[in-house]
Amino acid sequence: MKKLSIITAIAVLMLFALGCDKIDINNTHKPYEPMGGSKTVLIKDFTGARCVNCPEAAEYAHELQHRLGEDRIFIMSVHAGFLAQPLGQFPNFLTDEGTEWYNNHDSNPLFTVDHVALTDGQTFSVEQIDTPVTNALNEVQLFEIFTENTYDEASRRLSVENHFYPMGDGDGKYYATVCLVEDSIVGWQTVPGGVNKEYVFRNVFRGTLNGADGELVSNGPFYIDDEFVTNSSIVLDSTYNADQCYILTYLYNKTDGKIVHTMMEKVK
Amino acid sequence: MRKHILFTLALALTFGFKASAQSFLENSQVNGSFQTDAQYYMLDKGIDITDLYDKKVGINGFGKVNYTNGNFSAGIRFEAFLPEMNGFRSELKGAGLANFFATYDNGFIGMTVGDIYDQFGSGLVFRTYEEWSLGMDNALRGARVVIRPTKGVTLKGLYGRQRFYWAPYMERDFYDDDIRGIVRGVDGEWDLNQSIPALNDSKFRMSLGGSFVSKKQYDMSIFYYIPENVGAAAGRLNLGYGNWSFSTEYAYKINDPSAINNFIYKEGQALMASLSYSQKGFGAVLQVKRVDNMSFKSMYTGKQNDLDINFIPPINYTHTHSLPSMYTYSTQPNGEMAAQFQVNYTIPKGTALGGKYGTKLALNVSQVNDIVRDSIMVNDQKVINKSGTLGYSSKFFAIDKHRFFRDINFEIDKKISKDWHLTAQYINLYYDIETIEGHAGAPVVQANIGFLDVTYKINKKQSLRLELQGLWENKVKAGYEYEESEKKDYQKRGDWAAALLEYTISPHWSFSIADKWNYGNPVEEYRDHYFTGTISYIHEATRIMLSAGRQSEGVVCVGGVCRTVPASSGVSLTVSTSF
Repeated sequence: MKKLSIITAIAVLMLFALGCDKIDINNTHKPYEPMGGSKTVLIKDFTGARCVNCPEAAEYAHELQHRLGEDRIFIMSVHAGFLAQPLGQFPNFLTDEGTEWYNNHDSNPLFTVDHVALTDGQTFSVEQIDTPVTNALNEVQLFEIFTENTYDEASRRLSVENHFYPMGDGDGKYYATVCLVEDSIVGWQTVPGGVNKEYVFRNVFRGTLNGADGELVSNGPFYIDDEFVTNSSIVLDSTYNADQCYILTYLYNKTDGKIVHTMMEKVK
Repeated sequence: MRKHILFTLALALTFGFKASAQSFLENSQVNGSFQTDAQYYMLDKGIDITDLYDKKVGINGFGKVNYTNGNFSAGIRFEAFLPEMNGFRSELKGAGLANFFATYDNGFIGMTVGDIYDQFGSGLVFRTYEEWSLGMDNALRGARVVIRPTKGVTLKGLYGRQRFYWAPYMERDFYDDDIRGIVRGVDGEWDLNQSIPALNDSKFRMSLGGSFVSKKQYDMSIFYYIPENVGAAAGRLNLGYGNWSFSTEYAYKINDPSAINNFIYKEGQALMASLSYSQKGFGAVLQVKRVDNMSFKSMYTGKQNDLDINFIPPINYTHTHSLPSMYTYSTQPNGEMAAQFQVNYTIPKGTALGGKYGTKLALNVSQVNDIVRDSIMVNDQKVINKSGTLGYSSKFFAIDKHRFFRDINFEIDKKISKDWHLTAQYINLYYDIETIEGHAGAPVVQANIGFLDVTYKINKKQSLRLELQGLWENKVKAGYEYEESEKKDYQKRGDWAAALLEYTISPHWSFSIADKWNYGNPVEEYRDHYFTGTISYIHEATRIMLSAGRQSEGVVCVGGVCRTVPASSGVSLTVSTSF
């Protein structure tokens, strides 16, 4: 009995001693550490103008982008789901492709990182994206993408030529999706405590130029000297501000759905 | 000769094994239960269901079997959500062995491996449980040891990793976003009345307890230093004398920045106390609670009800009738001050008011307010709840003006005659729907609710039951002016009427029809009827229930933990049995 009491007391004391870490309150923020590598990452932010928690989540994602590299992390706000349905003065940013990607998930805000999670039918809450983003940034870059936009002011026609260069030899079936994105649109957004009527919507997905699944780029073995080219075009809606629009192209592996590289280029 | 010896040995072993197996089986007890809930969804423009999103059917089912033989017990539970019913988390979709365990307990020592459900004290620092109606299961997969070194003393130690829907338990198999930690805990309880012979039959009762729980998590944050070990401790005391009893528990948690508390580093605290008195025909209980930053999850990024290590008990009346239960309080782990007082009194038989069978009266008052949060100075600036700081300061006994919830209800339960039974209740409700359900900017629900529940026994086998209910909001009703953009926040708001008629033929059959009518909704298109028809059949431990009709949007809450139920229309079937 005495031995048992001693053993129990020691076990409890050890748990007490090892079970608590006190963080210095004057040193809670981690220093900025630039990530190595060159691969870019796409965060799809499934959001809605009537989603009260979405602005805060978007801010978190942008802070992550700012901290880890604005040239390597791209955020695309895809308005989809119940809280993105058009209503009254709230803007209608719904798209067929966005609704297809959203695939009847739970309420917004939701995120995918290079399609990770989305490929197995799941999504992340914003606080869960840190690890997938850093993991994705650390991956080896498989392709380089160059985008060339030609925009005709008169007809508002935009022609896009994408060049895909393998960074090494490989094999697989790769598709590219070309997206039109408009930045800094002002409109109504539900926020905690009411409605912000002058909310600035960042990186709003306006649709694709080649369908929700994109188009075939490479099927089978590829080599470092190869070059793949795709062409697509779109006439910009008269309500879109061409100065704030850009083309975001991502290349993904058709087998597992995972995005291998993303690139962005301004329309003008 | 050698062949004979081998033959004899084989025969002896075979018969020995058979005899032992037979004895093993004879001492065995097997029990279990099965349940399947299915719902067929239909379009219903009347309640704005214009798209089923490719989901016509939702089926949730489980089967569990437990085996006991003397000091040994083991069990398994299989679950299938193919796909999950609407209102349940989509992560549940799938099928498989959700739970298994094996336990040996000889009274002195008990050991369990597998999925563990347990609770330390009232659960302020540790509780794992499964609640089918919420789709909630936070079982700890690991090991537990229980030692009872002397009479009245129980010591427990456990560790493991919690269930997270269908996510794998081994780190090597984790998904990218899965950073679940390991939970370790110890608990001790000393029942003085059992330990001290002089107190064995005493009117005075006393027990003491203490717990310490720690999670080991992984710091994967880009922004903040996350503590990899977070500990929480609690102490409790139960006292009783005659008809009086008093219990209290205090819990403390060190810095635990998380998605729930907006990544602040403040310590967490919780205090609960309960004083009660009971005698024949009379009972009273007073409960108080203070909670400050006490969400405790084994993954700091977890939200909603995911991976809760602890449980904060609600101290509010649990309503079971459909209209009062539409606005059920959901515990606010970031902070709340709550109190509840309940009195039950039975007017004795044979008195003018008690009549032939006596009359039961019950009064319940409960209220929950926010805690006071004062700003703190960070870099010469006043901040409140800012990430990466201590968040705020809070005076322990100060109560904020912001009221989350209040429920004042009075109930009469009366058996009028051999054939008639009546229950009536009046409820005065205050419900901050913005805080509790997240409807930003929506006005508070202030309502008077009443119901009458009458049962008439036609004969020994047949009975009729009638429920009449009404809910009247003070402000939000037909004619209330609302912003068109906020229309969706007014689903289920305004005045309601409900009625139910149930015909029972004992012991097998029950038929009911019911309607809920949101006739006083400020939005004209939401003034809908939610009618249902239900048939149920009971045979021994088997129950089959088929219902058809509409279900209104709402919340299902068990023990202060809630899930949202979307409006639906269609046919539901529930089949359950146990053995």
